[in-house]
Amino acid sequence: MDTTLLVQMLLGALLGLSVYLPLACGQLSLATPGFYAIGGTLAALLSTRLPALAAASPTGAAVASAYPLTSLLLEMALAALLCGVLATGIGALVLRLQGTYLTIATISLVEILRVVSLNLEVTGGAVGIFAIPQPFADPAGFALFTLALLGLVCWLCQRLAVSRPGLAMAAIRDDAIAAASQGIDTYRIKLLAFVLSALVAGVTGVVAAHFLNAWNPRLGNFDASVTCLAFVVFGGSRTWIGPVVGGLALTALPELLRPVGDLRLIVFGLVILLGPSLFPQGLINPALLQALARRLPPPLRRLGAGTTAEASR
Amino acid sequence: MSAQPLLKIEALRCRFGGLVAVDDVSLAVREGEIFGLLGPNGAGKTTLFNLISGITRPSGGTVSWRGTPITGLASHRVAALGVARTFQNLRLFSSLSCLDNVRVGLHRHSRQPRLQALLGTAAFQRRELALRGQALALLESVGIAEAAGRPSGDLSYGQRRRLEIARALACRPQLLLLDEPAAGMNPSEKKELAGLIRRLRSEHQLSVLIIEHHVPLMMELCDRLAVLNFGRRIALGTPQQVRHDPAVIEAYLGTAAPGPPGSSPGDSP
Repeated sequence: MDTTLLVQMLLGALLGLSVYLPLACGQLSLATPGFYAIGGTLAALLSTRLPALAAASPTGAAVASAYPLTSLLLEMALAALLCGVLATGIGALVLRLQGTYLTIATISLVEILRVVSLNLEVTGGAVGIFAIPQPFADPAGFALFTLALLGLVCWLCQRLAVSRPGLAMAAIRDDAIAAASQGIDTYRIKLLAFVLSALVAGVTGVVAAHFLNAWNPRLGNFDASVTCLAFVVFGGSRTWIGPVVGGLALTALPELLRPVGDLRLIVFGLVILLGPSLFPQGLINPALLQALARRLPPPLRRLGAGTTAEASR
Repeated sequence: MSAQPLLKIEALRCRFGGLVAVDDVSLAVREGEIFGLLGPNGAGKTTLFNLISGITRPSGGTVSWRGTPITGLASHRVAALGVARTFQNLRLFSSLSCLDNVRVGLHRHSRQPRLQALLGTAAFQRRELALRGQALALLESVGIAEAAGRPSGDLSYGQRRRLEIARALACRPQLLLLDEPAAGMNPSEKKELAGLIRRLRSEHQLSVLIIEHHVPLMMELCDRLAVLNFGRRIALGTPQQVRHDPAVIEAYLGTAAPGPPGSSPGDSP
């Protein structure tokens, strides 16, 4: 497997987690590509238009031509800030909606952002922005960096699952009215999940923009929404492991199927179709996790307690 | 001189389109009492619960808690005041274990410093363990401790009703709203339930507002009763008073058929 595909897979897993977070409290939001595009566009603009960022390389750096890592981290922080503020505002509006209406509103958000960036001069219109500088000399650097980012997000999801807001999210997913009558401020918890989802998507967009070397409005469209949703549906939405597995597998599959030629789209379609019919709760479902937990030695079992206890069916 | 009532409802109204589900109902629950709501199906009892617990907004009238108006307050804020409830058609968190269902009830009492929760420090783990202990104790007090790790969907109907009560108690309420807690229970389970409610009242210093169709149980359990019919309160008083109220007899048994005067069997001494 080549390293470039590995980076794409890791980015896919991150986007899967971004869709998973609101879904963990029962909110089907497809806003992920919108915030992904905001992060990507922000990174593309900052790194190509602000020479100061590219020149910020500490003196005596080994690779003089590489884009400084500190600038990349700064872009990620800015993207997180921007997406966080936007998601708080947008969430205040759309989270009043329930079920399908929330989903439709988030699809509209993605479309609005796409059309705006398609028609703005500063974002390069339909052509987009090219020659985004590379912080790493080879894909291996990207792979390590993205892996570290994925690891961090997974760790946060695990901590969330075993602490108070995570339990509240599971309660809201099961029955929002009952959750509210237990004293849970359901709106606040939903907003928390929505904002976290936006942060993950925005930061992922920054990494993707540098990795892809170019950014255009098509990267954050409705197709991307559906693809990210497929990661979660295929992998399973009961624990954070599901969307990670779904994101990795479904990003890799089209590339791995290249040898079968034109048949690959058909095979890919079949997998998407058969996955949910054979595993309605996703590939990584609570039953599977429990079966695995029983085979683990006790110390490891305790480690995974949060993920399986939360979904103990 | 009587103390201020815990919960006071005045001229409460709720209409859904053309249907007036709760029509000008007033009542007050005193501290420490078990107050019963009786009435035929569709009388507006559950709607009244929904109005109190903030699930439905009233069309008129007021609800006050210890003298403070709380009409139309959001559900989680009502819970924060100390009003917990169970649901007529059971609203358990079906994907969670029984223990976790009760832990959700502890939500307002399980706040931990964010950084400690994030890092999972020893202090965080200790308090989480203590909270689990509290949840387990509540399961034990309603008699289903052995089911702690099982999914709530695995329980029998009666056990699920008990689990809902344990979850409501986890909110540390002062007023417990029980919506048909004996529904689907057999006579011996009903008797046990009455004992449980009395015991919980004294253990947790509760006031209880209870909806139940089983009249003998209500007569035995409640300090006072209100009877609703077609959204209106038709009677209020002690079980003795309510039992002999002509309006109640009429609502439950219907009006006597108009026959020739003097022909009814109760007339002749």
